[in-house]
Amino acid sequence: MDSLGYELSWYLRIAWLLPLLGFAIEVFGGYWGTRKTKTAAYLAIGCIAAGFVLSTVAFCRWNAETGAFSHSGEAAVHEEHASLRHIPFAGQAAVADHAEGHAAEHAEHGSGEHVHGEHASDGAEHGGAQHDEHHAEHQSIAALSGTIYTLGKFGDLEVSIDYYIDSLTILMFMMVTFIATCIHIFAVGYMSDELTEDYVDHFAHTSDGHHVHRPGRFYRFFSYFSLFSFSMLGICFAGNIFQVFVFWELVGICSYLLIGFYTERKSANVAANKAFIVNRVGDFGFIIGLMILWTYCGTFKFGDYEVDGHERPGLFSMVRGHDGELAQQGSDVILKTHGHDGHWQAPQEGESKTIPYTLLVVAGLGVFGGCIGKSAQFPLQTWLPDAMEGPTPVSALVHSATMVAAGVYLAGRFFPVFTTEVLLAIAYVGCITLFIAATIAIVATDIKKVLAYSTISQLGYMMLAIGLGGWAAGLFHLITHAFFKSLMFLCSGSVIHGCHHEQEMPKMGGLRRKMPITAYTMLVGVIAIAGLAIPGTGQLMSLLTFGAVDKPLAFSGFHSKDAIVATALAYTQLNPLHFLLFLTPLVTAGITAFYMFRLWFYTFAGDPRDHHVYDHCHESPKVMWVPLVVLSFFAAFCAANGEQGSLFGMLSFSEPVGLADGMTATGTAAIAVPSHHAVHDVHGTAGAVALLAAVLGTLTAYLLYCRKVVDPENIRNQFSGVYNFLVEKWQFDNLYDAAFVRPSHSVARWCAACDRNIFDAILHGSVKVCIWVATIDRKFDEGIVDGLVNLIGNVTRSVGLSLSVFQTGRMRQYVMFIAVGVVTLFALLFAFMPKA
Amino acid sequence: MEAIGLQPVLFVSAVLFVCGVVCMTTKRNGIGILMGVELVLNAANLNFVAFSRYTSLGLDGQVIALFVIVLAAAEAAVALAIALNFYNNHLTIDVDRGDELRG
Amino acid sequence: MEPSLSFLSLLIFLPTIGALLLVGFNKKAVEAMRFFTFGVTFLTFLLSVVLWNNFDASNAGIQPAADGISAEWIASWNIHYRLGYDGISLPLVMLTTFTTMLAALASWSINKLHKGYFILFLLLETGMLGVFLALDFFLFYVFWEVMLLPMYFLIGIWGGPRKEYAAIKFFLYTLAGSVLMLIAMLMFYYGSGGQFNLLELGRIAQGKSAGHSFDEFTQIVAFVLLFIGFAIKVPSFPFHTWLPDAHVEAPTPISMILAGVLLKMGGYGIIRIAFPLCPVGAHYAAYWLVAIGVISIIYGAFAALAQTDFKRLVAYSSVSHMGYVILGMAVWYVVPENGISVTANRDHWLMGMNGAMFQMIAHGVSSAGMFFMVGVIYDRVHHRDLNQFGGLAGKMPLYSGLAAGIFFAGLGLPGMCGFIGEVFVVLSAWSFSPLLAIIAASGVILTAGYILWTMQRVYLGSEYKGPHAEDITPINGREATVGFVLLGMAIFLGVYPAFIFNVMDGSMAQLVDSMEAGLQAAGVAINTAAQQASLLP
Repeated sequence: MDSLGYELSWYLRIAWLLPLLGFAIEVFGGYWGTRKTKTAAYLAIGCIAAGFVLSTVAFCRWNAETGAFSHSGEAAVHEEHASLRHIPFAGQAAVADHAEGHAAEHAEHGSGEHVHGEHASDGAEHGGAQHDEHHAEHQSIAALSGTIYTLGKFGDLEVSIDYYIDSLTILMFMMVTFIATCIHIFAVGYMSDELTEDYVDHFAHTSDGHHVHRPGRFYRFFSYFSLFSFSMLGICFAGNIFQVFVFWELVGICSYLLIGFYTERKSANVAANKAFIVNRVGDFGFIIGLMILWTYCGTFKFGDYEVDGHERPGLFSMVRGHDGELAQQGSDVILKTHGHDGHWQAPQEGESKTIPYTLLVVAGLGVFGGCIGKSAQFPLQTWLPDAMEGPTPVSALVHSATMVAAGVYLAGRFFPVFTTEVLLAIAYVGCITLFIAATIAIVATDIKKVLAYSTISQLGYMMLAIGLGGWAAGLFHLITHAFFKSLMFLCSGSVIHGCHHEQEMPKMGGLRRKMPITAYTMLVGVIAIAGLAIPGTGQLMSLLTFGAVDKPLAFSGFHSKDAIVATALAYTQLNPLHFLLFLTPLVTAGITAFYMFRLWFYTFAGDPRDHHVYDHCHESPKVMWVPLVVLSFFAAFCAANGEQGSLFGMLSFSEPVGLADGMTATGTAAIAVPSHHAVHDVHGTAGAVALLAAVLGTLTAYLLYCRKVVDPENIRNQFSGVYNFLVEKWQFDNLYDAAFVRPSHSVARWCAACDRNIFDAILHGSVKVCIWVATIDRKFDEGIVDGLVNLIGNVTRSVGLSLSVFQTGRMRQYVMFIAVGVVTLFALLFAFMPKA
Repeated sequence: MEAIGLQPVLFVSAVLFVCGVVCMTTKRNGIGILMGVELVLNAANLNFVAFSRYTSLGLDGQVIALFVIVLAAAEAAVALAIALNFYNNHLTIDVDRGDELRG
Repeated sequence: MEPSLSFLSLLIFLPTIGALLLVGFNKKAVEAMRFFTFGVTFLTFLLSVVLWNNFDASNAGIQPAADGISAEWIASWNIHYRLGYDGISLPLVMLTTFTTMLAALASWSINKLHKGYFILFLLLETGMLGVFLALDFFLFYVFWEVMLLPMYFLIGIWGGPRKEYAAIKFFLYTLAGSVLMLIAMLMFYYGSGGQFNLLELGRIAQGKSAGHSFDEFTQIVAFVLLFIGFAIKVPSFPFHTWLPDAHVEAPTPISMILAGVLLKMGGYGIIRIAFPLCPVGAHYAAYWLVAIGVISIIYGAFAALAQTDFKRLVAYSSVSHMGYVILGMAVWYVVPENGISVTANRDHWLMGMNGAMFQMIAHGVSSAGMFFMVGVIYDRVHHRDLNQFGGLAGKMPLYSGLAAGIFFAGLGLPGMCGFIGEVFVVLSAWSFSPLLAIIAASGVILTAGYILWTMQRVYLGSEYKGPHAEDITPINGREATVGFVLLGMAIFLGVYPAFIFNVMDGSMAQLVDSMEAGLQAAGVAINTAAQQASLLP
C-alpha cells in the first residue's frame, strides 16, 4: 500500500507540474513563434489534457484499491460504513477504524437518533464512541499523505511541501483538468481574434479618442491559463494548510493577471486590483488562522507524518483524533498527540499540548476568512462581478468552476478543524450570500454579471451545506456546479463572441434561431442550475431499475441542490432557532430558477430587440461548440442518481470522521448537526418543496419574459427604490469605498505627511539649531577673541605712530634732545636723589 | 712741575664738552658736526686721564682713553664715508637736508 | 580546502586591488573600466562561491576556525585583524558579492566621472565585505566607516538634483549611529578588561568566561545604544527618513547596493553584535523591538501608498519590508521556570530569527530588482512621477514582464523569496504577541495595495502619459540579463528556501541557545518577562 501513495502522488504530481512546464515555455511564446501561431494553445491543451489523463489513471487506481467509486453515500448510513476515514502517515496504509453496523450502536444507546446529548461535555460527539470494541478487520484507506520536500525546519517545526490524496483530491483533479481542457479548447476559438499583429481593442481608448492598437496576445493568454491550472491543481494537491495558502495566493495572482488581461482597459485593471486586494483581506484572516495553528499545533500537515522514525499526528488527527471528537478540558482543547497507527488520543495528564477553545474557533474563522475572500462570500463578494472584465473563458474557468470553488474546497478539506461555532458562522455566511447575490442577479442586465451573481449565490449554497454539516452535499454541489456553470459561461462566451462583444441582454433576444447549439446547451445548464426535475419519475425509475435508483429524472443541479436543501431541513428540525437556514435557500432556489430562465428568455427567446446585433451574430465555430456539447452532457448527467450515485458515494467515502452520525455541541453555539440518517429521512419532503420553488420561479420567468403577461418595466418602476438598491449591489461597493479605501488613502497621506512634517522637521529643526549655535560660536570667535588680539595690536601701533612725531630726522635736533635730556636727567637726579 | 689738581682739568674738560655739544647742535655742516663729536670725545678722554692721574682708577683710565682715541679714529673714518655718500646723494653736506629717517 | 586568512583577505581586498589598478586607466576608456569593474566584482563573486562551497553546514560555530583566524594588528590595544564566517554571515557575503556584481552591470548608466565612480564603487564593496567578515569589534567598526565614505561620495557626486542634501543626510544619520556604536564598543572594551574579540565578548556575556561579566545595567544600556545605531541603518521607524531621500537621489546601481546590502548591515549588526553581547538587553527590549518592527511594517506600507515618486515608493517599501527583520529576530518570549528564565517559544523564535535573516536576503534580491526596474525606465524617460506613466506593458513587454515578476516578489507572492521571509516571521510572531502579530499580518493587504496600484499606474493602461515618450525603447540585453538573474534568484529562493536555511539554521540555533544561556547566567530577575506578559493582550 505504501506504493499506492507513492504511485498516485506521482501521477498527480506530473499532472500538477505539466502546466507549469507549459507556462514556462508559453510565456516566451512571443519570442519563439509569431503572433499568428496557435502553438502555445496546443501546448497548453496538451499539458492540461495529459493532466486529465493522469488524473483519470489516478482515479482508476484509487478506486481499484479502495472501491470508493462504487461506495454508496447513503448506503453508509444504512449499512456498514459508519465512518471510513483514516490518515496514514507518509503514504503508509493502516487499518482504518471501522465501526461495525449501526445496529449494534443503536442497541447500546437505546435510541435510533444519532444525537448524543449525554456526551455533551465535549465539543462534539461521535455516535460510535465505543469504537475500540467494534474494531473490524476491514482494510481500507481514506487518505494518503507524504512529503515532497522541506522548505524550512526549525527545531521541531517543519514547513514542507506535502501531498494529501483522498477521494476529494482525486475528484478535484479530475474535475479541474477536465473542465480546464474543455475551456482551453473553447478559448482557442474565443481568443482567435488575438492571432494578429495588430489587435484593435474597442474598449480601450487613447487620449485622442482612438482605439488602442496592439499586437495580439494569444500565447500570453494560454500561458496564464497554464499557470492558473498549475496553481489550482496545487491547491487540490496540497498536503498542508500552508501549502494551500501558497497556491491560494498563486491562483489569486493568476486571477489578477487574467482579469487584467486587457491591460489597456482601465476597468480591467481596476477590477484586477480589486480582486486581488479583496482576496488579500480574506487572506489576512487566513494568516491569522495559520499563526494560531502554527503556534499551538506546531504543524501544518493535514495527514499524520513521521519524524526521525516517530509518528506524529497531523492537524486533523491532533484536533479530532481517530474518533472525530474534540478533547475539551475547561476552556482548553487537548490536542491528541498520543498514539500510533492513526489512533490518536489525548495524552495522559501532564505533558499535554493544549489550545484554548476560543483560539481554535478564531483559527477556524480565520481560515474560513480566506475561503470568504476566494469564494466571494458575504461580505467580500464585491470583487467577483467586477472580475467579469476578463475574457469569458477566464470567467468560466477561474471565476466559476475552479478558483472560486477553492474556498469551498478548503472549507471542506479543513472541516475537521472547524468547531461548531465556526460551522454556524459558515452556514450563516453562505445563507446571507446566496440570498444577496440572487437578488442582485434579478436586476443585472449584463449576461456575464448575471452568471457571476449566480456563481456567488451557488457558492453560498455550498458554504451553507458545509456549515450545516452536509459535507458531501456541499462538495457534491461544487462538482456539479463546476460543470453547469462553466457550461453556461462558455455559452455566454459563445454569445458574446457571436454578437461581437455585446454583453447587454436588452440588446439580444431571439438568438436561438441564429445560434441553436449555444442556445440549447445553455438551456441544459439553466435547467440544471434551476434544479428542475420531472416529478414522479422517481417511482418510475425505481420500477425500471428494480429499486436501485429512486431519484426522479433530473439534471445534476437538482440532485446536488436537493441534497443541500435536505440537509438544511434536517438541520432546522434539530435546531428550530435557525429556521432561516432552511427557508432562505428554499426561497432562493425559486429566485435562482427565475433569474436563470429570465436570462435564457431574454437572450435566446422572443424577438430580436437590436437588429444590428441580431443581423451580425452567428453561431460559433466547431472548436467552440464541441466543448459546449461535451460539458452539457456532464452538466446533465454527472450527478446521475443523486446521493446514491457514484459521485456522491465517492465523495462521502472521504467524509470527515464522525460526521455521518451527526454531532451535537453545547456552549456558545448549541447546535446539533444532523446525521446522514436524519437527512435521508427528510429527503423526500425537501426535494418536493425545492422542486416546487424552482417550478414557481421558472413559471414566473416564463410569464414575465416570454409570455409578457406583465411588462417587467412596470414592475421596475413600481419598485424603483428596491430596484436601485439592487442595481447598486446593496451599496457594498460604495460602503467599502467610504469605509476602507478612502480612509486608508487618508492614513497613507498622513503617514507620508508625518515623515515630511514631523520626522524630517525634527531633523531639519535640529540641523537649524546646530547652525544657529555655530553662528554664535563664529561671532564669539570673531568679536571677542580676535577683537582682543587686534586691540592690543592697534593700540601699540597708534602709540608708535604718535611717538614718531619726535623722530624728525634732523640730526642736530637729536643732539639737542640728548643734551637737554641728559641735563634734565641730571637735574632730576640731583633733585630727587636722597642725600647721603 | 707743580700739580695743578683735578678740578681745573675737569673744568677744561667740561668747557671742551660744552663746546663740542654746541658745535654739534649749531653746525649744519656734516664735517663740523664730526668736529663737535671729536671735541666731546676728547673731553671724555681728558676726564679719563684726569681721573686716572688723581684717583685710584690707575692705569685703567689711560687704557680706556687710548681705546676711545682708536674708536674715534674708526668712527671718523666711517663718518667721513657717510659724509661722502651723503654728498653723493644730496650734493651737499648740510645735515638738515637729510631727513629721510624721519618717523 | 580550508579558507585561510589570506584567502578571506583576498576576498575582502580584491575590489581594493581592482580600484588601485583602475587608477592607472585612461579616463576616456569608459568601456574598459566598465568591463574591468564588472570583472573584478565577478571574480569576487566567484571567490565567495568558493567560500560557500567550503562551508560546513554541520558546524554551527565560526569557520574556518572556532575563534576565527586572526593576526595581531594593534597589540597595545589588543586589537586583532580577525576574520571568520558562519551560517549567519555567509549568506550575506554571498548577497553582497552577488548584488554588487549586478550593480556593476547596472553601472553602465553612469554618465560622468567614470573613473572616480568605479574606484569608489569597488572600495564600497571592500567595506561591505569587511563588515560581514570581521570578528573583531574594532575591525568591524573600521570597515563600517570605510563603507560609509564611498557611499557619501557616490550619492553626493553621481546623484540626482538634491544629491548634496541626501548625501549629507545619509552621512549624518549613519555617523550618529556609528557614534552610539563606538560608545557601546568602549563600554564592552573596558567592561571586559580590554577585549575587542566579538566571540570572547559573547562568551563573557554568556557567563562562560571566568573573571568578567557584563552586569544587567551595562547590557541594557549597551543594547539600546547598539540597537539605535543599527536601527538607523536598517532603517526602522522612526530613524528611517534618510532612506527615501538617499534612494531618490542615488544613481540606480547605488540604490541597488544601498537597498540590497547596506540595509542588511543593520540587521546583521543586531544579530552578530547586539544580541549575543547583551542577551539581557535583548530580552529587556524584546517587546519594544517587536513593536518597532510592526510599526515599521505598517507605517512604511502606508507611507508607500501615498507616494507619487516611483523610487520613493520603493524606498518606503524597503522600510516596510525591513520591519519584518526587526520583528522576526525579537520574538523571544521567556517564562520563569524554577526560578530561572527559560525560553518558552524556542522553536518559534528560532523560526523568527531564520525568517528575519531570510527576509534580509530576500529583500536584498527583490529590492535591488525593484530599484533596477525603476532605474531602467528612469534612464529612458528621466522622470519618476507615478502619475505620468502608464501603458508600458505594451511598449516594453519584456521589461514589464520582468518588472511584474520582481514586484510580485516584493509583494510577497508565494513561490518567490519575499513570501518565505515575511510569512515565516509573521507565523512565529503569534507565540510572542497575538496583537502585534495580527497587526503585522494586516500588512499583507497594504502591501498588495500599494504594489498593485503602482503597477497599474506604471505598466497598465492604454497609453503612456508622461514626457519623452519617443525615448521608450525595449529593454536591452544587459538590462534583461540583470532582470532575469534577479527574478530567477527570487523564484529559486522562494521555491527552495532550504538552500539558505540549511546554511544558517545551525548557527541560528546556537545563537538562540546561547542567548538563553546568557540570560540565565546574568541571573536577571524574571520581572521583565512578567512586565511583558502584562503588556500582552
